[in-house]
Amino acid sequence: MADQANFERDALQYSRQLYSAAMRMTRNPSDAEDLVQETFLKAYRAYDSFQEGTNLKAWLYRILTNTFINKYRKDSRRPSEVDLGDVEDLYLYRRLGSEDTAEAARTTEDRVLDGLVESDIKVAVEELPENFRMPVLLADLEGFSYKEIAEILDIPIGTVMSRLHRGRKAMQKRLWEFASERGLLPEDAERP
Amino acid sequence: MSHHCDCGDAQDQLFQYLDAELDEDTAVSVREHLDGCGGCQDSFEFHRRLKVVIRTHLAEEMPESLELKVRALLRGETA
Repeated sequence: MADQANFERDALQYSRQLYSAAMRMTRNPSDAEDLVQETFLKAYRAYDSFQEGTNLKAWLYRILTNTFINKYRKDSRRPSEVDLGDVEDLYLYRRLGSEDTAEAARTTEDRVLDGLVESDIKVAVEELPENFRMPVLLADLEGFSYKEIAEILDIPIGTVMSRLHRGRKAMQKRLWEFASERGLLPEDAERP
Repeated sequence: MSHHCDCGDAQDQLFQYLDAELDEDTAVSVREHLDGCGGCQDSFEFHRRLKVVIRTHLAEEMPESLELKVRALLRGETA
């Protein structure tokens, strides 16, 4: 059993990370601040039910995602459980052009990886339907393991893996579009 | 004892490998394949770097005032 008196010391160290995740979930700073505050308040009130020595960060993320789903999904007209169209595996990488030499291929890869800007990445994640966005955020922003993500989102580990896989493919497709708009791709790598 | 891993196997395991989710034997067989296959090595390296780019760009600067607000909120609970 955790002691409420230690809550600030133990939990507040995760506030920056929680805020980043909250921004990608709510898509705006004011809702993200509200979400983080509500998460800490709920966590504080429930802290005596937290098993000390277990994964505090994952526990906070579970509260964050549940709060988001319960509160903001209601406000949203966007359907939360949507399917993604079928996208080829390694979509972006496979469209970097058929360069003749390994050196030329590497130049294109460097140009794409250096040329994608912050907003490209953020938009690509934020546009994912919620059921795909959550696993992608938890894995790619926070580095949680598949097992931790399954516990946070309360879904089977197989579902985590398939949503992560499909979410990342859809994201790569969007990044390819951004790379193309920004002229980062070689001429023979235009939209097929 | 790890079993033989070809390009198809390696690409199928790419994300699990980069996420450090493969069991040790499978990870070893992927690594052995990568050591001898420039094409797969290149693809893995691209995706490893993409993961870093994504992680870096998704992080957000938290407003300084937020932590103060949270602390005030918690103090309100104890009062």
